[in-house]
Amino acid sequence: MDMRQLASAMGMVLGSFALVSAAAAPAPGNAADGERLFIGDRCYACHGTQGAGGGIAGPRLAPDPVPFRSFLMQLRQPVRRMPPYSERVLSDGQAADIYAYLKSIPPGRPAGQIPLLNLAPNQGRRDPHPRW
Amino acid sequence: MVDNRKPTPPVTNPGRRGFLKGTTVAGTIALVSPFGAPLIAAGKPDAQTSKPPLRPSRLDEGLGPHPEDRGPLSSAGSDYMIDVLRKLGVDHVAFVPGDTFRGLHESLVNYGLLTEPKMTYSAVNHEEVAVAFCHGYAKVEGKPMACFVHAAVGLQHASMALYNAWADRVPVICLVGARVYSAERGIYVDWVHSAFDGASLVRDFTKWDNTPLTLEDFGNATVRAYKFATTPPAGPVVLQVDMTLQENPIPGDTPPRIPDLPHSTPPSGDDAAVAEVAKLLIAAESPVIAADRAARTSNGLALMVELAESLQCAVVDSYARFNFPWRHPLNQSSRQGAAVAEADLVLGLEMTDFHGLIGSLRKSVKTVSITSEDLYMKSNYGDYQHFSAVDIAVEADAEATLPALIEAVRRLTPTDRKSAFEARGQRLAEAHQLALQASREAAAVGWDQQPISVPRLCQELYGQIKDEDWALVSGTVFQSYWPQQLWDADKHYQYIGDAGAYGLGYLPGAALGAATAHAKHGRLPIAIGGDGDFMFSPGVMWAAAHNRIPLLYIIHNNRAYFNEIMALQRIANRRNRGIDRTGIGNDLTQPLIDYAALAKSMGVAGFGPVTDPKDLASVLKQAIAVVKRGEPALVDVVAQGR
Repeated sequence: MDMRQLASAMGMVLGSFALVSAAAAPAPGNAADGERLFIGDRCYACHGTQGAGGGIAGPRLAPDPVPFRSFLMQLRQPVRRMPPYSERVLSDGQAADIYAYLKSIPPGRPAGQIPLLNLAPNQGRRDPHPRW
Repeated sequence: MVDNRKPTPPVTNPGRRGFLKGTTVAGTIALVSPFGAPLIAAGKPDAQTSKPPLRPSRLDEGLGPHPEDRGPLSSAGSDYMIDVLRKLGVDHVAFVPGDTFRGLHESLVNYGLLTEPKMTYSAVNHEEVAVAFCHGYAKVEGKPMACFVHAAVGLQHASMALYNAWADRVPVICLVGARVYSAERGIYVDWVHSAFDGASLVRDFTKWDNTPLTLEDFGNATVRAYKFATTPPAGPVVLQVDMTLQENPIPGDTPPRIPDLPHSTPPSGDDAAVAEVAKLLIAAESPVIAADRAARTSNGLALMVELAESLQCAVVDSYARFNFPWRHPLNQSSRQGAAVAEADLVLGLEMTDFHGLIGSLRKSVKTVSITSEDLYMKSNYGDYQHFSAVDIAVEADAEATLPALIEAVRRLTPTDRKSAFEARGQRLAEAHQLALQASREAAAVGWDQQPISVPRLCQELYGQIKDEDWALVSGTVFQSYWPQQLWDADKHYQYIGDAGAYGLGYLPGAALGAATAHAKHGRLPIAIGGDGDFMFSPGVMWAAAHNRIPLLYIIHNNRAYFNEIMALQRIANRRNRGIDRTGIGNDLTQPLIDYAALAKSMGVAGFGPVTDPKDLASVLKQAIAVVKRGEPALVDVVAQGR
């Protein structure tokens, strides 16, 4: 990235902060409404119904979501593959509801406590079968 | 001679195909009809029904005498065709019946299946499934099988699956029935199921096609087709087989000689170029080997390991084949982005979208490709991908080039470089372990949720199969590569990649073909496939039951065509028209589909829908027990999108 590209990128980031700053206060959203929106608007398609993440489709959102400011910025001017959601499509209030839902999701068990995630490696065997 | 124009169908008018079938089973042993009653000898009045013969349908009008009615024939051209296939080692055929290959069909069932070396077959319900069957089979067995396809409409059905095989560089021998001569075309359907140049439909995405007009031509063309199909880059071939050639006797009753299949050697890289690549690899501080369809064989996998270990360098696998053991310490696929970002040299082996991997790298990063893709390409469809501007392009088959490259690396590596290699290998092993732990932590999030998380589905399955000789016959992109992230696999046959062109409907047929090949070796084949993909070819369940194919088919049931939802939302957002209606056309709900019931209706053991992750282990255990008895089983798992 040269200096011109860097300046442009920084401008975009600063612009994003300006756009969302007015709405970046802590969100007093309604978690139940947020869950309905999260499902109804199909956020779960990429992020999972409980925000656990959808592998290559979308990152984990919960538990312990990013600060609301970052959440809203990603919603309005996303990085990577996610489409932008304008206020006309999803209001700040609705975004706050979704955020409240994500905040309400409790953490699960750590990987170390799940036996299926700690299986021993197999013994390797050579494949004797030739192919084309 | 039976009067063809006055058929006496036993229950209902079977149409031309059924009537002709009836005329040829006269005098055969008692067969059971699809309705459970003994078949009646054709040509005789139906004594079990008082119904008068039905008026011939339009299909039967104008039906004239057929070659088989001219009296007993001393030989059959299509028997020779079967012998050609057998000599090539093409011993399995998948097909849906079709009038234009009835000669071949008859030769298969009454000659190929009964005489040594006996062929085997799989009856399926769609030409797309027949080709996909061949696609999956070839990737496991390492050699092509054949499908018989009806002219025109049959080939049209088959075309998408041929495109998948083409884009996946997999050999398929597709024999298409043909009415080459207008004299062969009698009634309406004969004409509408004929084409002057039928193979032109698929010529953009097949390696070669031919329409032999003599049996000798057929022998030569089929051996040539086999050779083309299996030479890297491999691909499907089409032979249009004329009906008359199939049905007429062999001239003089002396079969033409069948040419021997030459011993082929895939093209390997030029020695000087290979030495240059070896020097670059040795000199690089952080070389990365990127592999897509690199390991064609188990030997290719062993060579991949040998090269990587010789250099102690990173390997990133695109998972189009089993290119590298999933738990090998040098496997950096789970941290591909970081590994490639650190690279000062990237060697791409049989990459399809190499540009996607290296396109944004610093100019100082050296890039090298070794691929047979450069040797054969067609213009129309974009499976050739974005142009990759590499520094050195070695136009050769990667697997065939690996021995020379390994030898050059060993010969040219200075002794004092080896300690640096060892240190690099140690760093990569630690990075691999960290990536594995990160994957485990990511998989733990949402472990107990409903719908069931995809890593939970994969791990519950792995818990049941890890001590079996399992083989995954499905791609894993729509399961976010969780098996590769979490499972331990080191055998080439344990993974065969995906569709090639992502044409929906691939997996049901390909899974059956792959499972058929695995069954010979006593392996436990497993497919995890999307509900949307499955609904393109649900009839495979009948084929799985009918052909008794041991396969565990898990429906990853996310109740939608998930991939398209975000795409539609992007457009809706841009137009500010709301996103609440983007489920229309994408959702597979209202009604929900009962996949277990669907499977049961076709004779397959169906389980589910499983909605509680705590139930998965016991249900999977039951289904695996069915498969280990040699039968198919389906488990419907209501799961998250990815």
